[in-house]
Amino acid sequence: MSTPELLADLEQAEPVPTGGTDAIAARSPLELFWRRMRSDHVAMAALVFIVGLILVAIFAPLVVKLVGAPPPNKQSTAALDPLFGSPTGPSSEHIFGVDQLGRDIFSRVVYGARVSLEVAIISTGLAVIFGTIAGMLAGYYRGWVDTVISRVLDILLAFPILLLGIGLASACSLGNGCLGGAIQPGLRVVILVIAIASFPYIARIVRGQVLSIREKEFIEAAKSLGASDTRIIFRQVLPNLVAPIIVYTTLVLPQNILFEAALSFLGVGVQPPQASWGQMIADAVGVFDTAWWFMFFPGIALVLTVLAFNLVGDGLQDALDPKTGRG
Amino acid sequence: MRKSLSLAVLAVLAGVLLMALAACGSDSNDKSSSNGSSSGNGSEFNAALPASDQKKGGTLTVPSVESFQHLDPGQAYFQLDYMVDYAVHRSLYYYKPDNSETAVPDLADGDPQVSKDGKTVTVKLKKGIKYGTNKNVPGVTGSEVKAADVKYSFERTSKPSVPNGYVSVYFPFEGGPSKGIETPDDHTLVFHLAKPFGATMAKALVMPITMPIPERYAKKFDADTPNRYDTHPDEQAFTGPYMIQSYSAGKSLTLVRNPNWDGATDTRPAYVDKIVWKMGADPTVRDRQVLDGQNMVNGDTLAGPTVKRAATGAKDQISFSPLGNRYVSLNTQKKPFSDVNVRKAVAAVLDRRAMQLARGGALVGDVATHFLPPGLPGFEEAGGMEGPGFDFLKNQSGDLKVAQDYMKKAGYSSGKYNGPQIVMYGDNASPAKDTTLVVQRGLEQLGFKVKFNQVEHSAFYDTCQTVAKVKDKIDVCANPGWLPDFFDPYAMLNAVFNGEAIVPQNNVNMSLFDDKKINAEMDRAAELTGAERAKAWGEIDKQLTEQVASIPWFWDKQANLQAKNVHGVIAKWNAAWDLSWTSIK
Repeated sequence: MSTPELLADLEQAEPVPTGGTDAIAARSPLELFWRRMRSDHVAMAALVFIVGLILVAIFAPLVVKLVGAPPPNKQSTAALDPLFGSPTGPSSEHIFGVDQLGRDIFSRVVYGARVSLEVAIISTGLAVIFGTIAGMLAGYYRGWVDTVISRVLDILLAFPILLLGIGLASACSLGNGCLGGAIQPGLRVVILVIAIASFPYIARIVRGQVLSIREKEFIEAAKSLGASDTRIIFRQVLPNLVAPIIVYTTLVLPQNILFEAALSFLGVGVQPPQASWGQMIADAVGVFDTAWWFMFFPGIALVLTVLAFNLVGDGLQDALDPKTGRG
Repeated sequence: MRKSLSLAVLAVLAGVLLMALAACGSDSNDKSSSNGSSSGNGSEFNAALPASDQKKGGTLTVPSVESFQHLDPGQAYFQLDYMVDYAVHRSLYYYKPDNSETAVPDLADGDPQVSKDGKTVTVKLKKGIKYGTNKNVPGVTGSEVKAADVKYSFERTSKPSVPNGYVSVYFPFEGGPSKGIETPDDHTLVFHLAKPFGATMAKALVMPITMPIPERYAKKFDADTPNRYDTHPDEQAFTGPYMIQSYSAGKSLTLVRNPNWDGATDTRPAYVDKIVWKMGADPTVRDRQVLDGQNMVNGDTLAGPTVKRAATGAKDQISFSPLGNRYVSLNTQKKPFSDVNVRKAVAAVLDRRAMQLARGGALVGDVATHFLPPGLPGFEEAGGMEGPGFDFLKNQSGDLKVAQDYMKKAGYSSGKYNGPQIVMYGDNASPAKDTTLVVQRGLEQLGFKVKFNQVEHSAFYDTCQTVAKVKDKIDVCANPGWLPDFFDPYAMLNAVFNGEAIVPQNNVNMSLFDDKKINAEMDRAAELTGAERAKAWGEIDKQLTEQVASIPWFWDKQANLQAKNVHGVIAKWNAAWDLSWTSIK
């Protein structure tokens, strides 16, 4: 299906609301994107969820207070079974139940969103920056630069990254961290590991795109006008990479959320008593058959978040690149 | 020491040593009452005591999560190892399962004779006890146990192939084992000690180091490291009612009757014909098998949820036995915890009730008020369940006001700590991890900024037991525990808190507590016997508590589970099944 046809479909599906004075007017790419995006109701619902989640994460203390839940690290022996010390389930006081120390699961899920989003966004951001730089250099210069960068990426892709995470975390979790204190135990290690794990994928995509872009006429024109490499890379190549980078970012982000949860589950990452979903799930494993709520709520939060990011990613992909759209 | 091994297991298994405040079951809903009498096994749960109507025969299956560490009696130092070694070997003395206060003669004939000066101990051996082996070994199979064999058991610990951590502590022979042990005839052992230590040493004669090993047979094994006597225990020479017929490390172990064992010389009934031990089970699966199956008892720590399930639905299948204590170690040689008032403040703020719940509640242990656990001599003398009555341990759930008063006494005028960050080490697996989070919160309530390093259980012990790593660097070791090597307060307190026992490696005195006066009193109390001994150690316990040598918070009880058709008997001294007394119904 060609682009004009799709646009026609969209016009039909969602006619321009008012006046129609600019119905035939030229539209900027951004405008076109937003129109397509808006028509994807599932993606929009997911986007609303994500915005809501980000707000909840930012205003976690306020949210917890509004709901009337205790703070996330408050240990309440009164909420534990008095004989066995086992956690108790959802009640009016603790709507999601409590964990093995009597801490409120609702508060911990809300605060856990902070960790998940913080790690996923920062590590994805780092991966995008490094991946784009590496991919552009390799794709634009070709030759030995390409060879070196590509082989390094191959090596990174072949790395058992989960093991690297565990290794780094245990090596850096004692004393004053490693590399002279540059890598501290805790979230920083996790962010670093995830960024290292995900940037080669972005670098490869970018490299592939640059390889085709660099052969286009406008690049040759710029070159013949005497533009410097830097200028060509940043002014001619980069703008053409924005769409694939955005799409890929939204696909890497949910993967990284899961990655963070996996590392937390394995005991790498947040320092106690800070809450994170992966760690909560890990703690819940031992009492799973008697305290389902302990694993269920952080688990469901994780599923919904990853699902929302994936749906938004799909929507973005369709909206930015209609050629891949659904019929 | 035995503790570090057993505890390793206990804690790694997160599952929880459950303890039972059995008798308190009825009133333990009330916070103040888990202090009540807990001695009771006569409660609604399985008493796991010997009975006169037990039957012979059958095969018992013992599934465990952990594997054995050392089945060589010279090296054994672990709850599971002890379960097997006491079924296949005979020590000089041993505890009947229901009485861990008075040891009865096993290989020995009559009680040990301690000389007046406490420096000589004489033990007579029974006659006619013979070795059994799987394959016939000429000169060993069917030959009689001689005094020289017991002497060799001690002697061989000086070889690198038989590492043993406790011999030098409990058996300080004059000139080492070869010179210090005399065998005037084949059935007499005379132990000469370098100091007046006989009263304590006589109590230690229950340990597996006193199980006989014939030199003529074991010498060739002991020449190599690793020692085949340990790695191939089916080749050992056995004196107990059973023999190890086959052993596959980490997988299985089979015990069959020892044809050369004569029941007339022994107090063990040895009911079952065969015992099959299977290792590497998943705790939850194992527990269900035992709960619903036949002919089975658990080999090691149960999973937490099992305790709840069994204690509410299958009370006659679960039993709870006290075993040791747990405490929080504060570095007494480094600021800020070198100040006893700061230590008292931390003790006061600590929510020991929350820690008890984190470990599994009142069934799996009582909130401690001093160090010696219930049942051990000196426990009552130190104040019993109520404790010595210091204000900083009065409220189980912690008392911030008392804590702040002590902080003020220590010179922190606001009642809060304002110095540099402190460093804490603790386990990274539940339930120990959960209790350390309670400790962390208590410290933070007093204004401490805590850098908390969570590590593997073995790394926790490696670090906290190395003096160089602790001395100027670590302020808090958050989850140590201790099991007595034998049923005596000396074995409970001396290694952990005697400043003279501090050693660079494998140092169990994690708080580096070194009080000259208390050290001297411990040395003196080691020489006493009977009621005097209990009184002296109870007094020492009180002083250790007052000086906050560490913060005692828990007296463990271990839960054990039996199948419906098993009459299990718990060896109280080991808080685990006694394989020679357990029978099939």
